[in-house]
Amino acid sequence: MTPTLPPIVALLLVPGGLFLLVGSLFYEWADRKLVAQFQNRIGPRWFQPEADMFKLLAKEEIVPDGVNRALFHGLPVVALVGALTAALYVPMLGLVPSYSFRGDLIVTLYLLSLMTLCMGLAGANTIDRFSLLGATRALTQMFSYEAPFLLALLGPAIVAGTWQIGEINAYASKHAWLLLTQPIGFVVAIVGLMGKLELPPFDAPEAETEIVGGAMTEYSGRGWALFRLGRDVELMVGLTLASAFYLGGLANPLAFVLKTFGLLVVTAGLQSLFARLRIDQVVGLWWRIGMMLALAQLLVIAVLSRVA
Amino acid sequence: MRIGAMLSDISRSLFKKPVTELYPFVKKGAPERLRGKLIFDAAKCTGCKICVRDCPADAIELHVIDKATKRFVLMFHSDRCTFCAQCVFSCNFDAISLSHEDWELAALSKDSFHVPCGRPEDVAAMAK
Amino acid sequence: MESQTPQATPKKFIVPIGPQHPALKEPGHFEIQVDGEIVTSATARLGYVHRGIEKGVEGQNWTASMYLLERICGICSHVHATAYAIGAEKLAGVTAPPRAQAIRVLVAELERVHSHLLWLGVAAHEGGFDTLFMYSWRDRETVMDILEALTGNRVNYSANLIGGVKFDVDDKQADQIRRGIDFLEERTKHYLEVVTTDETFLRRTRGVGTMTREQAEELGAVGPVARASGVPRDVRVDAPYAAYEQFPVKLVTDTGGDLEARFVVRMKELFECYRVIREILDKLPPGDLTVKVKPRLPAGEAISRVEAPRGELFYFLKSAGGTNPDRIKVRTPSLCNWASVLVLAPGHKLADIPMMLAGIDPCFSCNDRLVTIARRAGAETWTWARLRQYGIEYYR
Repeated sequence: MTPTLPPIVALLLVPGGLFLLVGSLFYEWADRKLVAQFQNRIGPRWFQPEADMFKLLAKEEIVPDGVNRALFHGLPVVALVGALTAALYVPMLGLVPSYSFRGDLIVTLYLLSLMTLCMGLAGANTIDRFSLLGATRALTQMFSYEAPFLLALLGPAIVAGTWQIGEINAYASKHAWLLLTQPIGFVVAIVGLMGKLELPPFDAPEAETEIVGGAMTEYSGRGWALFRLGRDVELMVGLTLASAFYLGGLANPLAFVLKTFGLLVVTAGLQSLFARLRIDQVVGLWWRIGMMLALAQLLVIAVLSRVA
Repeated sequence: MRIGAMLSDISRSLFKKPVTELYPFVKKGAPERLRGKLIFDAAKCTGCKICVRDCPADAIELHVIDKATKRFVLMFHSDRCTFCAQCVFSCNFDAISLSHEDWELAALSKDSFHVPCGRPEDVAAMAK
Repeated sequence: MESQTPQATPKKFIVPIGPQHPALKEPGHFEIQVDGEIVTSATARLGYVHRGIEKGVEGQNWTASMYLLERICGICSHVHATAYAIGAEKLAGVTAPPRAQAIRVLVAELERVHSHLLWLGVAAHEGGFDTLFMYSWRDRETVMDILEALTGNRVNYSANLIGGVKFDVDDKQADQIRRGIDFLEERTKHYLEVVTTDETFLRRTRGVGTMTREQAEELGAVGPVARASGVPRDVRVDAPYAAYEQFPVKLVTDTGGDLEARFVVRMKELFECYRVIREILDKLPPGDLTVKVKPRLPAGEAISRVEAPRGELFYFLKSAGGTNPDRIKVRTPSLCNWASVLVLAPGHKLADIPMMLAGIDPCFSCNDRLVTIARRAGAETWTWARLRQYGIEYYR
């Protein structure tokens, strides 16, 4: 196993901090480029997300009337912080997470949801009609996919016998890929990841053609940049988590890059394949099919572990 | 009832080159009938001014240097022109045509939009 | 900025779609009252793209007016010019030669192909299906290249003259058209399959905006929207103009009445277009391209009706014997189709509204004509000067 870095380096430089910020922009580019390739067009150039960030940070931030200013300015920061903190507990770059502790799976999932909560709150903060609708939809969607997604990530935790991500990762590296032994859980995890990241077809909270920008309508400049950065970091963290659990663990940086990119190709393909689901269809899908599949997977695990 | 009806499209596109034309690095040739910048054949012009009358955008002005010797200068305003080609068909003497090679007409100043067309000596005479 | 009215009535939450909204490609204002996600009422306000074209043509001569009228709409520009040319030729008492009529129909059908492919992409985009949007617009490039080679421009073809057309179709172009149409026919079959079988897309379109045949007739819907509800109305079939008598078109209807039916009708109309285009290329009548028309059209009135990609387009031309038109009144198809959205919107979810708007293929630029609503007693007629004064004071 690769040696762990001193915690302060891990926090600020690699694999957290600077590497995470730059890497997540790179992942955003990869996602957009892959979707473009699937749609038979050239996508953005490699520096597009970085250029977007610089531009947005330099732009004027327009604060609409009637908002709570502290919340308006503070929520993007909290969202980004949540996503960055979640990255400390996952095997980013294939290295053993420096800050892991027992039970950090639950903490990580909560921190990832913090972003959605912040977006919902941000949307409810303004009196703009579109933001309110977007906030409602974001929170509705969160209540739909959260349970099946959690259960899907619980499957590997159960077979590994621990709630610590670092140990689940180590377990997954030593055993057969959980993709093969828990395929249903894998499907639910991937689709749940797309729901969490509000990728199409689950982008109803941010449906551009219906509610303009959703909860993010009123954000511009710095706040918008921070939310987008938070979303990208969440993409990277989510991919790491899913590939660590189901694709045989991340033992070294090379495996990290290959597996997360492989998963990104699959996610990009799923993004291009479907029309946007209406919010009521999202809820129906998750609470009927998603929940059933996740429970079925848990049942199989329980039965097999009893048998074995 | 199919999930992902466009799967065949996207999986093929993963390995194909994108169809985007990388203009301006790659320029496709324009078809012959493309309606680009106006070309004036001063030798054929008789000064009837039907083109001026029929232009919907007032993009043509005809200046008479000498009517008897048929010396005319056509002032073409490419910023007003809609490239409809009505002038081509209104002219009974085939004095006007639209180029299919000269169509990149964007410029940084408006000077290049007012193009005097005709014999060089006539254009010089008009400037005076 | 008020989002809730302080009354005893149930909470009204108004979502404004437009004038600036990503769902609308052109400005128009729709006030959708919602209760949660369910729409309770919908009203529209149009007129944002009114450019005064009908007034403007009175200042141009008959020849130049055509170009102004052509630019009422970008995607149905050729049928506007055709309707005008047919009306002007009626006033002048001439008929364009058969070859010119056939070429007019050829360009009109190519334009219908262009319009329906564009619409497919836009409607898919409204439903969040960006992949279908990208692919259908990629294939639209084929028909635009054909039109560019044939007419000289990708949009706004300017193919018509009063008395005929500007250009001929030679063998090289006919080959290019045939090859392009073959490719597009393959792709259209694929898109029809996608639209009728893809599960996520069907969930957005099946059962949305259902309009029965009685409702369609009562609300006055025209074009593919009416035909999707089973109303067998198509100007090309009911009152053939230009060369549609020699190259007849089959009527395409569907009984579903919902969004899916509208998709199906437009896709099937594309197949009819391809068939007619091939037939014209095979049997193009020989002859001249234009017939001479004098600059002053005799006094009189003329009416022409054509089938635009969106429905029936109606032109009324009045001449006082001069070089300029006296009055031209245009009634575009999109104007008739609004009621089918606004009346049927209540009860649907908010997410369905952009899809329903896209389903009627609205062309806002076409719409902004002058509409006379039934006058109440005591209404006065204002002069131009009075109207101008009112406008100045309104903004002060």
